[in-house]
Amino acid sequence: MRRASTRVGLALATAIFVAGAPAAVHAQAGNGEAGPFLIRGATVVTVSGPRLPNTDVLIRDGRIAEIGSNLSATVGVKEIDATGMFLYPGMMDAFTDIGLADIGSVQTMNLTSELGDFNPNDRAIVAINVESQMIPITRSNGVTHVVTAPSGGIMPGQAAVINLEGWTWEDMAVSPSVAFVINYPNTGGRGGRGGFGGFGGRGGGADRAAAQIGELKEVLRAAKAYDAVRAGNAGEFNLKLESMRPLVRGETLALVSANSEEQIRGAIMLADSFGLKVVVLGGDEAWKVRNELASRNIPVVLGSIESTPAEDAPYDAIYAQPGVLRRAGVKIAFSTGNASSSRHVPYHAALAVAYDLDPDDALRALTLWPAEIFGLGDQLGSIDVGKRANLFLVDGDPLDVRTHMLEVFIDGKRIPHDDRHFLLYEKWKGRPTVHR
Amino acid sequence: MNHEARINRLASLVIAGTVLLGPTAGAAQNLAIRNATIQTITNGVIENGTIVIRDGKIAAIGRNVRVPDGVQVIDGAGMYVMPGLIDAHSHMAIDGGINEGSESVTPEVRIQPNPTDPTIYRALAGGVTAANLLHGSANTIGGQSAVIKMRWGASLDSIYFEGAQRIVKFALGENVTRANANQSDADRRYPKSRMGVEQLLRWWFTKAKEYEASWKAYETERKRNPNGLPPREDLRLQALVDIMNGKIKVHAHSYRADEILMLMRVAEDFGFRINTFQHVLEGYKVADELAKHGAYASTFAEMWGYKVEANDGIPYNMALMSEHGVVVSVNSDSGERVRRLYQEAAMGMKYGDMSEIEALRMVTLNPAIQLGVDDQVGSLEVGKDADIAIFNGHPFAPASRVEKTIIDGRIMFDRASAMTLDKLIRGVVTTTTEDAS
Repeated sequence: MRRASTRVGLALATAIFVAGAPAAVHAQAGNGEAGPFLIRGATVVTVSGPRLPNTDVLIRDGRIAEIGSNLSATVGVKEIDATGMFLYPGMMDAFTDIGLADIGSVQTMNLTSELGDFNPNDRAIVAINVESQMIPITRSNGVTHVVTAPSGGIMPGQAAVINLEGWTWEDMAVSPSVAFVINYPNTGGRGGRGGFGGFGGRGGGADRAAAQIGELKEVLRAAKAYDAVRAGNAGEFNLKLESMRPLVRGETLALVSANSEEQIRGAIMLADSFGLKVVVLGGDEAWKVRNELASRNIPVVLGSIESTPAEDAPYDAIYAQPGVLRRAGVKIAFSTGNASSSRHVPYHAALAVAYDLDPDDALRALTLWPAEIFGLGDQLGSIDVGKRANLFLVDGDPLDVRTHMLEVFIDGKRIPHDDRHFLLYEKWKGRPTVHR
Repeated sequence: MNHEARINRLASLVIAGTVLLGPTAGAAQNLAIRNATIQTITNGVIENGTIVIRDGKIAAIGRNVRVPDGVQVIDGAGMYVMPGLIDAHSHMAIDGGINEGSESVTPEVRIQPNPTDPTIYRALAGGVTAANLLHGSANTIGGQSAVIKMRWGASLDSIYFEGAQRIVKFALGENVTRANANQSDADRRYPKSRMGVEQLLRWWFTKAKEYEASWKAYETERKRNPNGLPPREDLRLQALVDIMNGKIKVHAHSYRADEILMLMRVAEDFGFRINTFQHVLEGYKVADELAKHGAYASTFAEMWGYKVEANDGIPYNMALMSEHGVVVSVNSDSGERVRRLYQEAAMGMKYGDMSEIEALRMVTLNPAIQLGVDDQVGSLEVGKDADIAIFNGHPFAPASRVEKTIIDGRIMFDRASAMTLDKLIRGVVTTTTEDAS
């Protein structure tokens, strides 16, 4: 964001006028400023429909209340002149570890995984550090909500969709148990780059991975049996199996990390044989099974585009795959997999556009599609009346690195530009000249 | 499949694509690029411009340049032509490890490149034509780097960038102090603190001064006494003498402002200059001092937070240092980022409002200055090497990619003939899915 910048940004800096109120409004320190806000005259990129030039958007009580021309400001509404700017729905990093992970080398700042291979009952949401520096840094670039997830083992636990704003993790929770992460064991097939833990494969070798696949199936069978027994009010309570009941009933998503063709076929098997509602995560070789994925409506949350393909794959395999999957009819979403990278998820999409992903599809894969994939299409991902007011204002294409973020709104609150990087910049650019 | 077999497989894949799909890549020839937007870096942008390449050099450049007969012509309509990108910090294509971890001061060891490493090909596909292959950061003084041109598949002798300066890698902070970090103090390697790093440097350069003096004394003595005994030759101390005398330029891995300042002061006390601070994530806190010392800066656009000393790394660093007059480059330090260095450079415009030309210089002329090759590459000018990247649009625009990369007038990467995922899927190239997986 450059709102607070007083240099070149001045011409575009937004001005706020409060209807019926004399004084300028300042953002609350440390958290979002409450509305209602009337954003006037922006080009509104709805994503769900056409672009609306010179359009007003009213946000009230955390929601998009009205979209139209010359909307009237009632008393107390804060008006933002957005002439010449573009209003977009907030972007979503569809897999990261914001709130769970911070400075990489400090073990105690990265308690993202539990002992043992099976922890389906663990929930990321309860361990979100609301003061993590990653939260303001990420939202400052228009990434307003993310999937944050635990890692390690075969079933590390439950991912959450969180807003990057709030006083507690309960405030932040959009969908606290949105998916069970499953790291599909890698029997060592070529092609995968291992991302997201790259479970199995080397070291233990193919035998160990095959045994792990057996364990995974066994656990899923046990959970199905447990569910049936408990549905009949019989049997003994089991913490882990109890947590898996919505998974094996196909009610809650299985986010299956799988990169090699073999792993992705394994993920498909989990859908076909166990009835899991599978989303593939990573999916380096998903292009090889794109028709099978498309025919089953299995979406792919792409692993970080900022990676290198297998040594003997075409040089552009990672960059070109999103377009290939899209043209085959697979729904995709972008992800970074890493808290310190989350803010730059639009530039992952830009690389895919350079290698023939349709630019409108790229935007959808940053907004509406991840919302739909995670069952939140009615709440997030587009500018429609009634949806959560997660929005941002920019001076250009958000996929273009050169574009500046001007305003960010989360749940209708105007986000202050207070991220640590910007504050350090403001401090040190004011250092007096050295005369040594 | 072992590493070498995989490389061979990749090589055959690419070469097969070349034979089947396009003109012979890599042949030495005279070339011309016509009707292109040409970003010269030093002399503005030429719309509808032409570049004529003869014997590997730029022979003519401008709007109204005649293309000689019989020259292969590349149609540059819609294309954006700029100098090949230069990566001032890389560890790609290095054989045999990157750290001589035995002792903390080993300036005598040298990097040996591997010209067949596939990372070179992938860097070419990102428009990169030269790189500085540095040692790792385990040692206070790690060894001498190799500056290469991306002549993928060339012989070992011909991959080096002729005329590049000799460079030695220094390192400060966490990495050099954590050798054997899990051992008891008795088993640890000195130094284990930033304070010790300074003292180690002062001790070694003092020894080097004594060594230099002993040779000078011997040379003087020899005039009187031809049978005098010369001092014992010491490759390590000689390298340190060469550093002090400016024959070997220092590139110093660094993060925190305190250690950056410390190294400049140590160098000044021993009469030499730090050529380039690498990483230099807190360079913005001592930007004036860097400029006054005359040090350059080679940094990440947006890598930060992976360790404590990297936690004050901010994407505004490039702009702030540049505003203070520091020559700034943006480097990859990775076989991944080297594929999209142009996107990294654009961050300078987003964070801190760098001008477009300043941002472009961070991956062209500025790294050339830092490697001592700015008289040969880094801008498009008559007489310079024909090291050129051709994009299908502005390199900072989201839909742009590299179409061709030229080194010394040879087309080293050509998307038209390269194996791509699309061609593989469409079966344009007779390679089975199994082979390409």
